[in-house]
Amino acid sequence: MKDPAPPAPDAAEKWEVQLRRGSLELAILAALWDGRLYGLEILRHLESNSDLIVVEGTAYPLLTRLRSLGLVESEWVESESGHPRKYYRLTPAGRQRALEMARIWARFSGSMTQLLTPLSKEVNNKNEAGRRIGTP
Amino acid sequence: MTSSADSQKTTDAYLAALRRQLRELTDEDANDIVEEIRAHILDKTSGDTPSETVKATLAALGSPEELASRYRTEELLKRAQIARSPAFILRSLFRWATLSVLGLIVFLVSVVGYCLGAGLFILGALKLISPNRTGVYGVFSTHTWALNFQSGGQNSGHDLLGWWLVPIGLLLGAVLLVLTFRFGLWSIRKFWRPRAWQEA
Repeated sequence: MKDPAPPAPDAAEKWEVQLRRGSLELAILAALWDGRLYGLEILRHLESNSDLIVVEGTAYPLLTRLRSLGLVESEWVESESGHPRKYYRLTPAGRQRALEMARIWARFSGSMTQLLTPLSKEVNNKNEAGRRIGTP
Repeated sequence: MTSSADSQKTTDAYLAALRRQLRELTDEDANDIVEEIRAHILDKTSGDTPSETVKATLAALGSPEELASRYRTEELLKRAQIARSPAFILRSLFRWATLSVLGLIVFLVSVVGYCLGAGLFILGALKLISPNRTGVYGVFSTHTWALNFQSGGQNSGHDLLGWWLVPIGLLLGAVLLVLTFRFGLWSIRKFWRPRAWQEA
């Protein structure tokens, strides 16, 4: 008799992955708000300033897309480490998009927080679960 | 073989595989991607790092096939976004026009621009074929002031441009067509946010 198949990933975890993926574009635009960064700097910035776990293989193609859409621009810059690095910076359209997305995010998360108030006591008792809900 | 040489070999093999997988893209785009990924690997593995670190870095990027597939998807979306075809632009504008007022305005301006441009261009060409029956005729009287752009039929009024209609019509028509196309393209890039790529 065969071993039972491994359990499918928890539905809540799948939802969390979708949530993180959907937030990544705004997170990258926000990371570039104060100036230019190269790919790895953006990833490190996101890791140190947020709960986002960014898959590197996803972030670089996304940066390419953002550039294609005219939201960021890039330039190769020689570095002291001996190899050039590709730096990204926001274009005016990118700044405008970031602001619009941030506004939508604030409105959305505010209304969600309000909606989740009845759950908050129980959620706070479970730190792990609390991180998943992601109250701002 | 030293650990460093081993790591170098692993990295080169990964990047070569990635480059092969990106052959559908232009050389410029593919090389740019490969160089960026190379810089990323070098930044994460600076110095004499153990080969395990290199392998972990490559694993985090995904296999060359997976990574290339993500880039190819982005490239397809990019092409759809900036396809250099007036028909595509007009179709996109039409769809946009059904969704928002701004889209409708851009669509109407584009239609007028294309019609005017094409009209002038055709008029310039027709002047060559049928010079006596084609022209811009001015009709001026106390109560009427009109410019008739026409070819064929009964012409009336004074032919204002004569043979100048050929270069002016062709040039102005072509410029207007190009400008209209660029206006549509610029508007789509700047203002239109189709959901398809955001959800991909």
